Amino acid sequence: MRRFSALSGLALLAAVLAPSAMADGGGFAPVAPESPNAEGIRDSFLFVSIFVVGIFVLVEGLLIAFIVRYRRQKRSRFADGAQVHGATKLELLWTAFPVVVLALIAAFVFVELPGIKNVPAAGATGQLEIDVTGRQFYWQFEYPNGVVAIDAMAAPAGVPVLLEVTAPDADVVHSWWIPALGGKIDAIPGTVTETWFQAENPGTYTGQCAELCGLEHAQMLASVDVLPQAEFEAWLEGRREAQSAGTGELGKELWEGVCAKCHGLTGEGGIGPRIAGSLALSDPAEVEGLVRNGRGAMPAVGSEWTDEQILALTNYLRENPPSGG
Amino acid sequence: MADRAASTPAWQRGKVVSWLVTTDHKRIGILYIWTALVFFVLAGLMALVFRLQLAQANADVLGPDRYNELITIHGTAMVFLVVVPLLAGFANYLLPLMIGARDVAFPRLNALSYWLFFLGGAVLMLSFFADGGAADTGWTAYPPLSTQAPGNGQDLWILSLHILSASTLAGAINFIVTIHNLRTRGMTWMRLPLFVWSIELYAWLLIAILPVLSAGLTLLLLDRGISLGPWDVQTHFFDAAEGGAPVLYQHAFWFFGHPEVYVIILPAFGIISEVLPVFARKPVFGYKAIAASTVAIGFFSMLVWAHHLFTVGLPVSLQAFFMIASMIIAVPTGMKIFNWLATLWRGNLHFDTPMLFALGFLSVFVIGGLSGIYLAAFPIDWQVHDTYFVVAHFHYVLFGGAVFAIFAGLFYWWPKMFGRLLDEKLGKWHFWTLFVGFNLAFFPQHLLGLEGMPRRVYTYSDESWEGYNLASTIGSYVMGLAILFFIVNVWRTSRSGPRIGNDPWQADTLEWYATSPPPPHNFDEVPYVTSARPLYDLRRRLREQRGERTLG
Repeated sequence: MRRFSALSGLALLAAVLAPSAMADGGGFAPVAPESPNAEGIRDSFLFVSIFVVGIFVLVEGLLIAFIVRYRRQKRSRFADGAQVHGATKLELLWTAFPVVVLALIAAFVFVELPGIKNVPAAGATGQLEIDVTGRQFYWQFEYPNGVVAIDAMAAPAGVPVLLEVTAPDADVVHSWWIPALGGKIDAIPGTVTETWFQAENPGTYTGQCAELCGLEHAQMLASVDVLPQAEFEAWLEGRREAQSAGTGELGKELWEGVCAKCHGLTGEGGIGPRIAGSLALSDPAEVEGLVRNGRGAMPAVGSEWTDEQILALTNYLRENPPSGG
Repeated sequence: MADRAASTPAWQRGKVVSWLVTTDHKRIGILYIWTALVFFVLAGLMALVFRLQLAQANADVLGPDRYNELITIHGTAMVFLVVVPLLAGFANYLLPLMIGARDVAFPRLNALSYWLFFLGGAVLMLSFFADGGAADTGWTAYPPLSTQAPGNGQDLWILSLHILSASTLAGAINFIVTIHNLRTRGMTWMRLPLFVWSIELYAWLLIAILPVLSAGLTLLLLDRGISLGPWDVQTHFFDAAEGGAPVLYQHAFWFFGHPEVYVIILPAFGIISEVLPVFARKPVFGYKAIAASTVAIGFFSMLVWAHHLFTVGLPVSLQAFFMIASMIIAVPTGMKIFNWLATLWRGNLHFDTPMLFALGFLSVFVIGGLSGIYLAAFPIDWQVHDTYFVVAHFHYVLFGGAVFAIFAGLFYWWPKMFGRLLDEKLGKWHFWTLFVGFNLAFFPQHLLGLEGMPRRVYTYSDESWEGYNLASTIGSYVMGLAILFFIVNVWRTSRSGPRIGNDPWQADTLEWYATSPPPPHNFDEVPYVTSARPLYDLRRRLREQRGERTLG
């Protein structure tokens, strides 16, 4: 009975793990790609998986086979097994075998690399460059025409979008990552890093900061709304006008993306104090001083904001004073 | 014995005091192991608390501050206070016995190593009571987050690691001098037990990498600002606003941090290379290849650190270099795995608990090794870096690898250390619950990472992640149950375990020639060593003397 406990244990484990490996998601592979770089990464992952699964089956298969075949059975407990000390040729073989496998994997990676790393040449529709700034605890996106968006980026379908990623000097390291649109790139104070995507299908793709950046790291969510190109142009134009006028969505985005993550959506308090009902919120000058300079444990969340951003937030707060829930 | 007792002052002979003043490598080894096991339970309990927080989306068990403190101290403690000291404990206990020596080269330095470890551990654990709580920036403590962290927790974290580095460095020097100078007659390099080989590399690696960690930590401390009498010192090594480079610290940390993985896994490999042959009744397959691969892994482990920095925007040529260097390590590691498998081939396998853990090690360590290939391929790493895929990977290596090997070692050498065999039935319950719980806890984390869940988040709102997270939490509690079996086993064995002879497993290496437990001076006489298996040779000579037919 005991000799089969190893087998029954493995069977039990397989029964436990099989459903989880086959559950809803994409199984043992990155999420469905929506951009050529994410696709190149997924292809590389699947290529590596061929060898990984093969070696896994080989090693675990041999292990189980040897356990079954060479178990003691009726032999005396301390009887010698075969006194074999090694076999040079065999050992050379299983040293060379991984070298070949790894060379194949490296070669495949280098073949895929240009499609993952290089931004495609701008086509008839040109390319769009967006500055991405990671900050405790929000993402700020700046478009070439000065439009600012928080946490939710809008982007045109079918156009290469180049992202220039950084963090303010006084902030910490963050990491930009939308799984369906490619790998991650760190947002590092004092450095500009680059990544890109080109999504063909309109839709909303989500991700979040991937480098521990402080207390509300888990709330540093990001999304990319890919819009048909005409719709995107209209969005960008509409935002431009609203931003100049101090109206539109930006104020709400700043409140929800920057203030509410610590103070709560209705200002009821969270890891930061309750601010609903605070007189300071109705005084634009005081709000500006607070977000530009921080106070106590509160970082200077708006240290590099434009006047338009300050205006958008103070206008929003005047019209929507936090209720306190 | 008699003269030794007479030369010991009366006040040092008490039951407790004799442990406090001991310089006996065996007692120090046991102190290391007990202390590290206590830290193991504490750091494990931390994981059970934060797994509760992660079991459901939007849970409210822990706030972000406590959550971040717990993951930071869990990680730091498991590496610095649990796995490395447990292996140092084995090394302390076994090195002199395995090479036929009376003690390590510097017994008092050895005692200092232990007490510094104790102090460093106390500083880390007590930092929860510091102003602002314990450090909460992850076990990697990247600046500027760590330089900006308020309170004293981060300073105590740095202090603790400085103390632990001094402790470990002293231990490493001690091990090297011992191995090089105190081997008994006939114990040539090619006859050293493979565990001793692994400690040789463990020690050299530590000497090469710990000073770099210490430098990085010192810069971190200076960036946080210190007061030296009337002078306040405030540097800006990692402060971009003053021209510093935050990523510089990451290089220093991982120049230490990646070889540290091999510091941990090499002695674990060493344990496996001792256990498998004994329970297969065979010599280890390809002794020289295993020893050589240990040296190769040690060397290449110092050339791979920047694969932890693939997402900081390094030039592609550098990323390519670190990918290839990381892949090269897979070759000697693969050699070991195939050599161990071949050790089982045509053996006479019996499945006592040490063997179960060794076989369990083989089956799960392979998964950790294979998932490492994805991480080495840098474009794939851009996708899975800093996600639960990585968390799964390093737990397969450090728990599935190192901790399974440590349990194999504990069950194997327990009768040598304490003269009593651990209970086999409880041992088997322990193994199977740990094996199932471990895989249930960590396998689903690969899938979480692939679906986009980053590590170190105190909460998540995506409900499609709930299933895997719940499975993972249940698995972690099954692992807790397994550790409970171990605690009961130790407690019961200490009172009523069967006393067994010097060599219950009919093993091959010199430590089994001493009595169980060995006397303070270890051996009255040491047999001349004629191969890597001196006790096997001795048994054969005895059989020949008795005129029995020799086998093999």
